[in-house]
Amino acid sequence: MTRRIARLFGRGGALNPRNIRLGMWAWLIQRVSGIILVVFVVMHVVAISQASFALKGPLIMILDGLRNPFYYVDRTFLSIDIIMLGIIAFHGMNGIRIVLFDTGIGVGLRSHKVIFWILVAMAIVASGLVIYYGLPLLGGA
Amino acid sequence: MSENPSTGTNVWLWLLQRVTAVLLVVILGVHLWLANFGEASASLRAILGVTLLGLALFHGLNGLRSVIFDFSIGDQGRKFTTMLLLLLGTLSLLFGMHGLWPVIVGG
Repeated sequence: MTRRIARLFGRGGALNPRNIRLGMWAWLIQRVSGIILVVFVVMHVVAISQASFALKGPLIMILDGLRNPFYYVDRTFLSIDIIMLGIIAFHGMNGIRIVLFDTGIGVGLRSHKVIFWILVAMAIVASGLVIYYGLPLLGGA
Repeated sequence: MSENPSTGTNVWLWLLQRVTAVLLVVILGVHLWLANFGEASASLRAILGVTLLGLALFHGLNGLRSVIFDFSIGDQGRKFTTMLLLLLGTLSLLFGMHGLWPVIVGG
């Protein structure tokens, strides 16, 4: 086990950061963010369900409660939500990149990198928009 | 036939993973839009909610399955993993539907 890890991360190892190029980073981050998001989705479903049981009303009223600027918002949960937003945006955009390559669009060393950075920019813009419009509604700003 | 015996990967699951990925990007956009600007009929909310729940659970757990299958866990391990994730997915779907019930029956 230890030898295997040493081989992976040591000099010349496949997971040594020095040997990881852009496509490998994309693959690795996609895996890790995917695992994080499975946990998040389950937590999100549980949290929203609990809220909908506790507040005993249709969802639109629960959302109205959340939109109230005086509604107490836990900063920790708010920051987790914002971090998750970024992870979701990256995972989604990088996923589009994978689907593009699987369908044969944009295959090539140079276009690989260009498409990656275009999609990362789109992910940043998308999360920026959601934070800009969503944060005041959640009472975060 | 659709299963690769050495890696356990399934071509239909691979395809479904791509299809759900694209659908999720679209529906998640709508989901975030509704969470912020929320103007939709109750039935549309219910349909979107259940669809998103099912797609996210499938995509997430199937993704987890491919990550686990990348480790050598043997035939038994693969079968066990698939069954465990199927069970987890079914339970989560039921739990999520239970939470969405006020929306489904008309909110």
